[in-house]
Amino acid sequence: MNYDFSEKEFTLFVDINEKMAGLAANGQLDRKDPAHNKENIKQALKQLAQTPYLKLGLQPVDGYQGQLSWMGAAETLAAVSPSAYLAVEASTRLFGRAVNEWGDSNQKSKWLTPLLEGNLIGALAISEETLNIENDPLTAQGERQGESVAINGAKQYVINAPIADWIAVAGTCDDAYALFLIEKEASGLTVEPAMETLGYDGTPISGIRLEDCRIPNEQVIFPPADIDMAEAIRMWENQILLGAGLGLSKAAYETARDHAKSHRSGGKPIIAYQEVGFKLADMLTLFQTSQLLAYRTAWTAETSPKEAGELLLCAKVFCAESAEQVCSEALKILGGNGYITGNSVERAYRCAKYVQIAGTSTEIGRVKIGDAALGYRN
Amino acid sequence: MDFAFTKEQLMFKKEIIRFAKKEIVPRVQEYDLNEAFDFESFRKLGDFGILGLHFPETYGGSGADVVTTVMAGEALGEAGVDGGLTLAYGAHSFLCADTILRHATEEQRQRYLPKLISGEWIGCMGLTEPDAGSDVASMKTTAEKKGDKYVLNGSKIFITNGPIADVAVVYAKTDPSQKHAGISAFIVEKGTKGFAAGAPLIKMGVRTSQTSELFFNNCEIPEENLLGKEGEGFNMSLQTVEWDRSALLAPFVGAAKYMLNSCADYARKREQFGRPIGKFQAVKHKLANIRIFAEASQSLAYKIAWCKDQGRPLNHLEAAVAKLFVGDWSIGPANDAMVVFGGYGFCHEYNMERIFRDSRLAPIGGGTSDIQKMIISKII
Repeated sequence: MNYDFSEKEFTLFVDINEKMAGLAANGQLDRKDPAHNKENIKQALKQLAQTPYLKLGLQPVDGYQGQLSWMGAAETLAAVSPSAYLAVEASTRLFGRAVNEWGDSNQKSKWLTPLLEGNLIGALAISEETLNIENDPLTAQGERQGESVAINGAKQYVINAPIADWIAVAGTCDDAYALFLIEKEASGLTVEPAMETLGYDGTPISGIRLEDCRIPNEQVIFPPADIDMAEAIRMWENQILLGAGLGLSKAAYETARDHAKSHRSGGKPIIAYQEVGFKLADMLTLFQTSQLLAYRTAWTAETSPKEAGELLLCAKVFCAESAEQVCSEALKILGGNGYITGNSVERAYRCAKYVQIAGTSTEIGRVKIGDAALGYRN
Repeated sequence: MDFAFTKEQLMFKKEIIRFAKKEIVPRVQEYDLNEAFDFESFRKLGDFGILGLHFPETYGGSGADVVTTVMAGEALGEAGVDGGLTLAYGAHSFLCADTILRHATEEQRQRYLPKLISGEWIGCMGLTEPDAGSDVASMKTTAEKKGDKYVLNGSKIFITNGPIADVAVVYAKTDPSQKHAGISAFIVEKGTKGFAAGAPLIKMGVRTSQTSELFFNNCEIPEENLLGKEGEGFNMSLQTVEWDRSALLAPFVGAAKYMLNSCADYARKREQFGRPIGKFQAVKHKLANIRIFAEASQSLAYKIAWCKDQGRPLNHLEAAVAKLFVGDWSIGPANDAMVVFGGYGFCHEYNMERIFRDSRLAPIGGGTSDIQKMIISKII
């Protein structure tokens, strides 16, 4: 048993913070800015590629504990820039992880290598119109036609779609799960304009449509037959969202704490008032509890992946809901300052709702956790 | 980081659950209803080695680490042992016996610890007073040195095991002009002239534990019953906080797991509208809330324990966070568990209303949630 991160891991967290702080200054990574969003994310990837960050959880890196080290680093990045974090993760630990886990050596060489060097932005499209992959099969379908596959279907809410160099589309082919890797300019692929969203302003999200989109056979990845691809991708999304929730809580709590210590009212810092100090205590309690639960979940995913599913759902629900509560309280502590668009707490508050509804929503998460307790499924 | 328990720890936990389900749990409801202390079960805890887990073998203990000790508390809760018995165990082993282990003379250790560890004797700790709860420095109980004796005067309140204790660790002011620095700790045995316990207080929960006032009326004790030196009492009381925030929280974590298992069993069998109530999402939602609380609170308690095993000084911030979380966030799951059982949940025949009542001590005992918030807001 050991509840500490190593010196090496702490050094990485500091390094990430330092490398990203300049890029993220003045919230420039977190603005809706179609002209610059792609360049911003590329720069973020380039910076992170100088550290082990992008490889964590995908490839062994000496001195690090895979997903556990990544969770600590993810928290750091997500606190510095929620939008950059989400875009980097969709590229690396959705698109990249799919290639890493299920791709052959040629496919890894083609997509994973440039991705980990920060030279490629990826996206992974899974959600469909019904938004209900928990119960319904995927309808995006590939049909073999000689040396190529023709894909038809539509996807919604694809993170990075407007800026991605490559999009992995989850669907079926030959009655099996398949991922179709499609280049941004492929014929038959239509990337819709970026959506207006409540939060994550710097992370372009859009739908895509595929109409007889033809790709060569070598751009199709078939996960092993015993893998439930949709379930696996949802689990990866949930892991990413855990890190997102921690980062939002961290940013909101620390900003509110610092404000409460420096902002004076009635001749003393407002933290001296119990209405403020006790709010911060509740916020820190939620944040630290979220951290421990997320770290234990990441450790379990790293050491006993088969046992991680239920714990991950518990952590997802708790960290997502805690993030919103922490951000909400932080806003109140900041008073009028918190209500001004563009500050880190207001930004975190808007992003926090996404963490609850994305991946496995907290509602579906609770149903699944309940089912597991009842022995009904999972 | 590494969150793994050892195989031995996990096996030990299973053994405690098996033992408690067989030997203790069948008696819990009856004793709770009668608000009676279950001496037989307490002795069985001693026989099984639980009362002295972390104590050196020299005194009859097992020499276990803190994590294993915390695990025992979680296991008792998970088995369904009531909060009254686990509280009595906590007050006995951690607040009384552990203070003697740390601060008494070897002769005193030999005199008290074997009997406390076996369960032959029961211990308690007297700190809180009618006008000095969280504000310990305001205590009015005094210990005046007269020759080779100390004379204690004053009273204590809310003392777990007070009416049944054979020995008490009592905090009193040896220098009333001082605040914390004037507090000293003493060993007082049952039967000492001038020392009496009040009648058990009627409580909402943890009813099998016996709680009372302690009265000191010119109570003379030998000077060697002073623990450590004069003025060291407050720091001694702080040392028990480590146990408060780990071993004493662990039964609440275990109780959540017990609630989850009980609710799942019930929801699978109980049918309404032609199907088990477990098929309804509203019931699943409640089970999920209980599970999430159990998972979230578990690591908090074990982190405090692990740090103590590493010999680190207590991180008061993390300790307060753990106490605050278990105290304030346990009410929802305990309520959910009761509601899953519907009308039965409100009746004593089923355990849920007892667990709900027991859980209400969590935000009050050992430093209220507001005190934890005060600690946290000051440290940050």
